[in-house]
Amino acid sequence: MKKNRSGLYEGMYILSATLSNESRKKAFDKITDGITEKGGEIKKIHDQGRRKLCYEIKGKKEGHYYLLYFTAPTQAIIDLWKDYHLHEDLLRFMTMRVEEVQETLEFKPIRVQG
Amino acid sequence: MQQERRYSPPSTQTSSSCGDSSPFAKKKKSCPFTAAKVKVIDYKDTETLRQFITERGKIMPRRITGVSHFYQKILRKAIKQARYMALLPFVAEE
Repeated sequence: MKKNRSGLYEGMYILSATLSNESRKKAFDKITDGITEKGGEIKKIHDQGRRKLCYEIKGKKEGHYYLLYFTAPTQAIIDLWKDYHLHEDLLRFMTMRVEEVQETLEFKPIRVQG
Repeated sequence: MQQERRYSPPSTQTSSSCGDSSPFAKKKKSCPFTAAKVKVIDYKDTETLRQFITERGKIMPRRITGVSHFYQKILRKAIKQARYMALLPFVAEE
């Protein structure tokens, strides 16, 4: 039998910015509930707020960005993706394995000389 | 009697030693990531990534930016991830 492994993941989600605050919260809860239902645990939520998209996605020019850090069983990720594809208000998502949780989202910009 | 001929290799001067005065001397570029000793290049750090794409949104070749091969691979991946999340453009309009 396969061992039930779990890993730390980082997920970035873009929700439609045209939604009202309430319905956006509902849509975001759907994402977080999906993770906890599958036996995952949410470690950190970064609400990055409204941002202009660099190109249109599904006719939308703005999106509300969320960054999540969560642990989940590796087998559950495929099921989560299936749910996300059916999620109407979710414009884009990306989940990937990371080593550690980033507490702050500040970066030291690297300058190119000359 | 034959004179012994010795092959003398062309003087091995480094480009930097003779280059200072020459107007065509190439200035040695250095990798900004190697200098900063970064471990990962984050796709969320768009301020850094924007320096390595053109105004049109193309990834700049490393012969221009001077990024080392090792970091160019990581940088390429980070830019492509940022593009997918609409943080950077695939094609910027003029």
